[in-house]
Amino acid sequence: MSTTSTGVPSTVKKRADLALNDEFLRKAVKFTTERLRNGKINAAEEHGNWEEWRERGRQIRLHTIAHLDYYLNLFADNARANGVHVHFASTSAEAVKLSLEIAQRKQAKSVVKSKSMVTEELHLNHELEGIGVEAIETDLGEYIIQLAGETPSHIIIPAIHKNRYQIADLLSKEAGETLEPDTSILAGFVRKKLREKFLEADIGMTGCNFAIAETGSMVLFENEGNARMVTTVPKTQITLMGMERIIPSWSDLEVMATLLPRSATGQKLTVYMSGITGPRREVDADGPDEMHIIIVDNGRSLQLGDSEFQELLNCIRCGACLNACPVYRHIGGHAYGGTYSGPIGAVLTPALQKNIAEWDDIANASSLCGACYEACPVKIPLHEMLIYLRRRKQEGGHGDAVESAGMKGFAAVLGDAKRFRGILRLGKLGQKLVVRNGEIRTKFGPLKGWNSYRVTPSLPKRSFREQWGTLEEELRHGLREMDPAMQNRMEAIARERKNGTGGGHGHHG
Amino acid sequence: MADTHQQWLEQRAAESRAKQEAFMNDIASKLRRPRVMEKPAHPFRGAPDFWKAYEWPLEERVERFSSNFKSAGGHVERLADMESAKRFIAAKAEELGAHYVIRQNQPELNELGLEAALPNAEVSVWNSDFEQYWKARAAEADFGIVVADYAVAYTGSVTVLSSKDKGRSVSLLPTVLFVIIPLERLKTRLGEVLVGFDEAGREQLPAGIHFISGPSRSADIENDLTIGVHGPGVVYALIVGS
Repeated sequence: MSTTSTGVPSTVKKRADLALNDEFLRKAVKFTTERLRNGKINAAEEHGNWEEWRERGRQIRLHTIAHLDYYLNLFADNARANGVHVHFASTSAEAVKLSLEIAQRKQAKSVVKSKSMVTEELHLNHELEGIGVEAIETDLGEYIIQLAGETPSHIIIPAIHKNRYQIADLLSKEAGETLEPDTSILAGFVRKKLREKFLEADIGMTGCNFAIAETGSMVLFENEGNARMVTTVPKTQITLMGMERIIPSWSDLEVMATLLPRSATGQKLTVYMSGITGPRREVDADGPDEMHIIIVDNGRSLQLGDSEFQELLNCIRCGACLNACPVYRHIGGHAYGGTYSGPIGAVLTPALQKNIAEWDDIANASSLCGACYEACPVKIPLHEMLIYLRRRKQEGGHGDAVESAGMKGFAAVLGDAKRFRGILRLGKLGQKLVVRNGEIRTKFGPLKGWNSYRVTPSLPKRSFREQWGTLEEELRHGLREMDPAMQNRMEAIARERKNGTGGGHGHHG
Repeated sequence: MADTHQQWLEQRAAESRAKQEAFMNDIASKLRRPRVMEKPAHPFRGAPDFWKAYEWPLEERVERFSSNFKSAGGHVERLADMESAKRFIAAKAEELGAHYVIRQNQPELNELGLEAALPNAEVSVWNSDFEQYWKARAAEADFGIVVADYAVAYTGSVTVLSSKDKGRSVSLLPTVLFVIIPLERLKTRLGEVLVGFDEAGREQLPAGIHFISGPSRSADIENDLTIGVHGPGVVYALIVGS
């Protein structure tokens, strides 16, 4: 396998190779996702009636998106009445332009930012640097990867791929002295360093978890307190929100507050949940003097009226589907090559790109096992969307290339009993892992399921024989890598069954 | 080109209103129906029905709150009256060597006489002097002291609302935070507090509504839990009343 380290490889397969070759990343991703996933399972079970809450969450999101023109309009009117400067941006370019104009108007030297996936979508940090404004990520993990010049690899734990020694090196460089690779020392340094940045900054920039239409309020969930800093200390606040972040009321927020933290980290509530309604009141002594909310479309509205993809807009960005996904758990976030990774990224990235068919092979980075749907707190049928995506690729004439990623090759190969036997032979030949405990049937169960879910099977143009050499290599590699994740998932299901709590978070298999 | 910032804002506001219309029309057309101008019926508003009447008796609320708050890394004390709260804070100030204390300008705290109880600390009262740079006073404080507007047992959270006399910084910037919870403000569900904001309506809402469920934390370095990464690292919830 090639392990070129320069440049960003163009296909998921190649990026996944990079990820897979990094032992630490694999371990870290697995550790974190297991922890988050188990936390979620525990929190959901402890909460009880999880299915009813999930259904409620889904209904609220469906209702809001179905009436988005009404609720978004109401939100904008109310936010304006609260004294917020509301802006609309159809494209990322427009959102960037507005943000930069505000920064220039305020003659800003620095912007402190709390975690925002929308600003990642816009590459806003880069744009701000371009006009000489320092953009500082203040979420601990985001700060670390910003120092490293990288992008987040997990929606909730962005620096999941870095170990404490790498982090100590990065922070030592920033500190100008050697910092011990001790978590509390490192975090202590960041606290002190960023305190100065918060107090100096001209602008605080945030994302938005939810926007409450009836009162024009914006809601942020976080654990560190940096989002509160960003919305309390600087004189100007800019919030970038996706146009679909709306919920009707504070009453509806109870449902979202029940689903989001439990699904993201297994917490009953994040340490801070803040509802911000306009800039500081005239008599207040903190909070921003001037507050801007930029409502961003950037491809979101393309899902409206699309019966197969509209539910994508229901997403509350919890990351539960990442933690549940056997593929993500193996290859990590960077392999997806977009702002959003994991199952949601596999669908959202191409969906936001207007032309689904032109996006590369990201839809194939999934085993279609449905774990993402089962984990989703608002029941988005991601596994089905991945199939629609593949179908549209086929229909768009993008399905006939020989897929070096091998996923489709896998599927095509498995569509035939003889070939299936061939793989079994391969497994027996080379991989003790695959035939552990003599349970070949169990190990291949998920692959069989995958195969039966496929639509529009497509044989590669080159024959199986012609491809054999390449396929052998890929399958050998692929099967070996796939196995531990599957095994973990199986074990998790077995554990849940043993505990007699299978229904608690939506597993029905 | 706008000459002043105000003019620029006005230009943007005019653009924004035009764009808002286009945005909403676009949404309606993509949804293949006319614009929705009337409030739609929302049959699924708020929590599931079985949850809306759920309530724990007082003692259970105290127990659940305490256990949730502690498991998030916070400290909880049950105290009979405000006098005990004052003694508790004073003892902690002595023990930890607190020099700078900032408190909200709330009537319960004004009556407490904290200043006399903390002879070795400089106690400032939020926004009591218009000349002061209050954010810096909060940022340098060892202790921040606030009275909660509400608390929620189910999630182990306290709720603080901002006002002229209640700074958002006081519950955020100091190293150690004390939150006094009058017993009668402790609810069972999050919804009991949230529904109140709907009932109050937009114009009655403060700029900042914050739910706090323990000390500031992060697990961003190798999943190792770190406390106090930006906000207070030590948080005491003092439940007062009997």
